[in-house]
Amino acid sequence: MQRDSFSVSIENLPDSPMGSNKKMNKVFDKMTQWVTPWRSNSESPRERMILRGDVEQDEFQYASSHCLSSYYSVFVVRLAIMVMLAILIGLLTILTWHFTRIYTKQSLQTLAYGLRYELLQRPILRMWSVLNTTSELTTAQVKLSEYVIRKYDKPTTQEELVEMYQAMKDVTWTLFASAKALNAITINYRNGFVQAFHRDTTTSSTFYIFSDLKNYSISGTGPKDVNGWNNQTIHGNMSAIWYQQQLDPVTGAMLGKPRRIPPDDLISIAGISQVPDGEASWHVTVSKYMDSPLLSAALPVFDASNKSIVAVVGVTTALYSVGQLMRDLVEVHGGHIYLTSQEGYLLATSTNGPLLRNTSKGPKLMKATDSEEWAIKTGAQWLQKTYGNNLPHVVHAENARLGDQQYYIDSFYLNLKRLPIIGVVIIPRKFIMGKVDERAFKTLVILISASVCIFFIGCVCILILTNGVSKEMKLRAELIRQLDARRRAEASSNYKSQFLANMSHELRTPMAAVIGLLDILISDDCLSNEQYATVTQIRKCSTALLRLLNNILDLSKVESGKLVLEEAEFDLGRELEGLVDMFSVQCINHNVETVLDLSDDMPALVRGDSARLVQIFANLISNSIKFTTTGHIILRGWCENMNPLHDEMSLNVDRKKPLAPMKTKLVQHRNHFQKSCKNANKMVLWFEVDDTGCGIDPSKWDSVFESFEQADPSTTRTHGGTGLGLCIVRNLVNKMGGEIKVVQKNGLGTLMRLYLILSIPDTVEQNLQPDFSKYGLVVLLSMYGSTARRITSKWLRKHGIATVEASDWNELTQIIRDLLETGSRDNSFDSQHNIADSLRAELSTIQEIENPVFVIMVDIGVLDLTTDIWKEQLNYLDRFSGKAKFAWLLKHDTSNTVKTELRRKGHVMMVNKPLYKAKMIQILEAVIKNRKRGLCNGIRNRGNGSDESHDCLEIDPTHYDTCSSDDSSETSGEKEGDKPVKSSTLLSPVLKNYLIDTTNRNDDSTSASMTRKNTEEEDWKDRNNRLYSGIALDGKNPKSLEGIRILLAEDTPVLQRVATIMLEKMGATVTAVGDGQQAVDLLNFRSINAQDSTQEQKSSEEETNVNPQSSSRYSSPYDLILMDCQMPKMDGYEATKAIRRAEIGTGLHVPIVALTAHAMSSDEAKCLEVGMDAYLTKPIDRKLMVSTILSLTKPSTLVTSYSA
Amino acid sequence: MNTTIVAQLQRQFQDYIISLYQQGFLDNQFSELRKLQDEGTPDFVSEVVSLFFDDCAKLINNMSKSLERPENVDFKQVDSGVHQLKGSSSSVGARMVKNVCISFKECCDVQNREGCLRCLQQVDYEYKMLKTKLQDLFKLEQQILQAGGTIPQVDIN
Repeated sequence: MQRDSFSVSIENLPDSPMGSNKKMNKVFDKMTQWVTPWRSNSESPRERMILRGDVEQDEFQYASSHCLSSYYSVFVVRLAIMVMLAILIGLLTILTWHFTRIYTKQSLQTLAYGLRYELLQRPILRMWSVLNTTSELTTAQVKLSEYVIRKYDKPTTQEELVEMYQAMKDVTWTLFASAKALNAITINYRNGFVQAFHRDTTTSSTFYIFSDLKNYSISGTGPKDVNGWNNQTIHGNMSAIWYQQQLDPVTGAMLGKPRRIPPDDLISIAGISQVPDGEASWHVTVSKYMDSPLLSAALPVFDASNKSIVAVVGVTTALYSVGQLMRDLVEVHGGHIYLTSQEGYLLATSTNGPLLRNTSKGPKLMKATDSEEWAIKTGAQWLQKTYGNNLPHVVHAENARLGDQQYYIDSFYLNLKRLPIIGVVIIPRKFIMGKVDERAFKTLVILISASVCIFFIGCVCILILTNGVSKEMKLRAELIRQLDARRRAEASSNYKSQFLANMSHELRTPMAAVIGLLDILISDDCLSNEQYATVTQIRKCSTALLRLLNNILDLSKVESGKLVLEEAEFDLGRELEGLVDMFSVQCINHNVETVLDLSDDMPALVRGDSARLVQIFANLISNSIKFTTTGHIILRGWCENMNPLHDEMSLNVDRKKPLAPMKTKLVQHRNHFQKSCKNANKMVLWFEVDDTGCGIDPSKWDSVFESFEQADPSTTRTHGGTGLGLCIVRNLVNKMGGEIKVVQKNGLGTLMRLYLILSIPDTVEQNLQPDFSKYGLVVLLSMYGSTARRITSKWLRKHGIATVEASDWNELTQIIRDLLETGSRDNSFDSQHNIADSLRAELSTIQEIENPVFVIMVDIGVLDLTTDIWKEQLNYLDRFSGKAKFAWLLKHDTSNTVKTELRRKGHVMMVNKPLYKAKMIQILEAVIKNRKRGLCNGIRNRGNGSDESHDCLEIDPTHYDTCSSDDSSETSGEKEGDKPVKSSTLLSPVLKNYLIDTTNRNDDSTSASMTRKNTEEEDWKDRNNRLYSGIALDGKNPKSLEGIRILLAEDTPVLQRVATIMLEKMGATVTAVGDGQQAVDLLNFRSINAQDSTQEQKSSEEETNVNPQSSSRYSSPYDLILMDCQMPKMDGYEATKAIRRAEIGTGLHVPIVALTAHAMSSDEAKCLEVGMDAYLTKPIDRKLMVSTILSLTKPSTLVTSYSA
Repeated sequence: MNTTIVAQLQRQFQDYIISLYQQGFLDNQFSELRKLQDEGTPDFVSEVVSLFFDDCAKLINNMSKSLERPENVDFKQVDSGVHQLKGSSSSVGARMVKNVCISFKECCDVQNREGCLRCLQQVDYEYKMLKTKLQDLFKLEQQILQAGGTIPQVDIN
């Protein structure tokens, strides 16, 4: 998005040419892509996202802006790190460069300085030594000359003079010969005579030069004063004749004749002029014999009196050797060295170039600036240019640029008296620093390239690193976004669930009203047939709608976590029996057998939520019924202890195999489980619902438990349903710590297996199975349904009761005849060929039992009810009634004529199908009891059947009172009072004893807690019953609450008034208070004063465990308290707690009913927790209130009021 | 003459009460209340209703005081007020008031002061509306009784 706008803005630039524009664009694109790498990835998710709703779009934008800022920050950080890296590397490079170069340079320069110094020092020292030698030799010559002259003091004769000259010559020769370096020694006498030795280096010959003696007197004709004694006298003395005598250089012997030479050829001879003040003097001369300048020293020779100069000795030394040394030095080190006089005349150079210039007047000294050697010339010129004429004594110039090269120029000053010398060294810089400079350059290049490389590598590293970070950030952002989305989704789902759960009351109440009103309408007589049919139809639809609503609400309640499972003791077997009883009605219509097969080790009492448990099985069974048209539905149950060894033993072999996968999970679960609640007496209960219906495709086994999922979509058409049932079942099972799944089954149908983990109350003794084996019972089962028969007989045999099965009338009669017609026993064996061998063997074993008690269970279906034959059959059977006890299995639709006939014949033991363990036990117990009584009282009066039927009826309440969690016994009286009305008006076919009792129980359990919902059938019955009772109470007996004293604690005046009037209309005595505190006070006060009340107070709750008969009791002033939950000062919960506290020890338990505007089960749980007994929601539903109040207050009062 | 007036009044009464139900001012609970009224308690409905309106006025006053200051609103107090109002309105069958109370409670739960104020105004409006309507109804009732007729039972279901 942003990128697009960028590129657009670039393209819109008017002045940028097209090509570069595109290029730039591309670069920019790349850059932005690099800067914000998420963009390249985000393209596809964005597209995907767009497909969803606006919410995601918003979220995405929100997240992307968030992302964008984070990516920019990443980019900035990246840039900063790179800049820092660059600075670091640059610094490092510069420092390295600096240290390597500067230190090298400095040390090298020091070295170079030393070298240069050395270079100069050596020729200068040589010069110095040359000078020294010269001076020493001169001095020696002077001393010798003085000596000789003194010896021949005042020569008078020519001979003496010649002799003296000869001696002088010899002495001088000795000296000259000994000092080979000397160029010449001259002695210039006062009289003008000159003696000189001279070496010609070019010819390497030695000459003796002397002037003609003839011209010189002893006394001297020359001018006497010093001033007249000058050079000109020598050279200008044209009269003098010069001779040159070649000498043997070693011996000094004369070789050949002296040769006369012109004065031009003379060497320079030191004259008096050179020693004007009688001191030694130095000067540089040139000679035409030598191409190098000569250093000449002159010293005067004084006479004995030391006052006058008699002669001047001159010593000339060639500077050639200095030049030689310089050359040698330069050869090694390179560069140039030259020496000049102070005036700038060249004395010696390191080159071979000429030092003199030839002029017309002979060779002359050359200035350094005029040297033919380029380096020396330019160097000298540079020096002159730089310093002018006043050259400082010491110069160190490091970077003198001569031509196109850099030179070192150093000069030294040697201050000799009369002959100051300046030495200059010119060395090209590259000779010394050339390598260094080269190296330095290379080092710089290497350093720079290395640092650039490091920089790039660093950048790449940073990129990679930050990429990782940015990737992580990206992922994190993604994660945050996902979490956020999930949170929102959960929240919205939660809102939905919460909404549904909150709406539960609002949804169910109108439906209940609709159904109730419809029932009223149906029971109304003045409906036409058509109307009746329509109303019935509406009734069905409403029920279906209510069921659907209940399912959805249950599901939402489970999903929103609001479902709180109750923890109450209940009789598991009884709940399931009731369930099977109920469904069997439907099943018999469908020609499907319903069988309950609970193993003996199932605990009788368990703790848990009985309503939810029943709901699970009701859903499963109704599901099975829906898909099963023929065959059977078996509900199996067995139990498994936590001890794994034990459960292996208890399991049947055929059950083991398909159990394996579930068991592994169970084992895991159990491990966890054993840790958490070892001492809590938990038990794993296994159940199976096995049907012979159409079955479920294995691929759908998992998905059937999902919401709105059905194995086959077409089933919706044929069977209806929403597919919520199994989902609820699974949720509930999971909530109870169990698991459910479909397992493989042999043959047709579906096998659902589930386990639940329920705790067992450890106080109650478990499951006392009666022992029937000792009574010698023989049971003849004559039933249609083979499955039920098989299971029952198996169970009977297991308990040591001999059992014979018969499937139809013929078989029954045969067996009866065999067993009971003792007279014709032998014949019958012969005549009954069709009896199977196994049966025959069984019969024979039975016949061996001593004093057998025969119980013959006859299914009413075995009789032929279609015609009147059944009466004949009954008469036939009646013949054996003395020998055997008949128990009849009735169907729910068995007609009254049959029943009355049976009763008339004295058959008192009648139970409704299906037959299961508990009923069997009852029948057997009745038989045993009967027999005992029969043994005591003799033969029983046959006409006294009604008494026996009462005996039989009494079995149920006494049996269940002790163990049932429901308060069935209290309302049974009331219900029995209603019985005639009920059996005539209700469509639900309720027969006598057992089933009635069961339905009543269910009814009460649901009325006590409104949220419990079962399947359609039960619900229907509930509605009917409740409605019926409501009608009865409302219509026929408006004063249904007559005599009940009610304390109403309610703060809202409106509600208080309404409730008061409502209750008073129904005959109750109402005391209203405004808050909880008042209620508590009132109760405490009154209970103290009202102890002598005669009315018996009966506690209806099992939880209190108070035995009504034995406990000493004070009467409470109120039979019931209606308690609003939210009140000022003290709310309902607190008040209830206070009341319950006060009740401790008194044995009282005033029923407290909560009144609340909250319709949630969690509120209900809270109410029950603080000790309330029931729960009513606002607005008060009158019928519901009445039924609740009645169920909680003493039923005996009601019964009396009815009878009165 | 008299009977025709009575019949007319009765029809008027019926129409009026049905319109109240249909417009959603009242619900079933109101008819329950009416059923409770008999010879023993001849003015039960009007008594309860006036109790309700007094209660309403008091509660609304309290709540508006609580919500007056923009900060530190005691939502707990408001919530309890709304709860009471909801309870009493549902008991009387004042459907509109009850419905507003439900949304009011939601606002309270999320501590939305603006929403609360809005709901408060709505509640105020609704109960006053209902009050005038019911006053008319009772006036009609009185007229019928004065004319010597009986109050017809109106079954809304």
